[in-house]
Amino acid sequence: MSFNVLIVDDSGSMRAVIKKIITISGFHMDNCHEAGNGREALTLLEDHWVDVIISDINMPEINGLELLDALKRNETLKEIPVIMITTEGSEERMKEAFARGAKGFIKKPFLPEQIRKVLYDVIGVGEDGRYEENPRNDDELDF
Amino acid sequence: MGDMKKIQEMMMNSIFDVYEKMFFVFLEPVDEDIRYDMATSIRFTGPLKGELTAFISERMAVSMVENMLGLEKQEVTQKHMEDCAKESINMICGHFLNKLDPSKVFDLSIPEYEKRAGIFKKEDLATLNIAFDSDGDMMGISMTIS
Repeated sequence: MSFNVLIVDDSGSMRAVIKKIITISGFHMDNCHEAGNGREALTLLEDHWVDVIISDINMPEINGLELLDALKRNETLKEIPVIMITTEGSEERMKEAFARGAKGFIKKPFLPEQIRKVLYDVIGVGEDGRYEENPRNDDELDF
Repeated sequence: MGDMKKIQEMMMNSIFDVYEKMFFVFLEPVDEDIRYDMATSIRFTGPLKGELTAFISERMAVSMVENMLGLEKQEVTQKHMEDCAKESINMICGHFLNKLDPSKVFDLSIPEYEKRAGIFKKEDLATLNIAFDSDGDMMGISMTIS
């Protein structure tokens, strides 16, 4: 089983690094879409289905938290799991992101293993590519 | 004075973390003025308000792009350097503020970038100035708290 991923970050370099890490990690990725901010992400989602979104918070136009709100309001998109990957790592900001619908949280700077782990946990797939019944999200369970 | 030393230590650790984890660049603090070719800055507001600016030599920016994106030197563009520079100051600022007080929420501006050369002087009037070297690649960080 392969998954479609959307990476939302205003830094093209950061999008490239995240994409590379996901590819190298062995995650079964079919298509990898990219958007430079929340507005571009929402436009892209009108025409493309994705299984998971990895999004920065601090972005121009529509930021990552506003993107979470927009997804929540949309019947078609509200179930897509979103992982926040951001420099804004305060406890309050994390709680806020989870309250607004995020399923995972990664602080920058990160190690490649952190992305792989959160991605596998959130999407509910073991490293062998098989679905797990109850995906565990350690970051989320900490609260 | 003790607080300032602690802040400087937190800032240096944040810079080391970001440069080592994201750019595979290992920095050494230096006690000298350094020449830079670009500057990128970010403002933060919250319980503490201020601005953080990184002054980066072109050699350093090229190394950051090469290491982060796995590109050859001749493939590195101005756009890559700008992007990496802005992302680096964003990460350093967020990481530093999180170390300073993880229970407090700070808002960060979108980083700004300017292609301008100059000399980064340790004696400038900013609250904190730190210069670094990595095999001849130079960068400096200055923080102003208002």
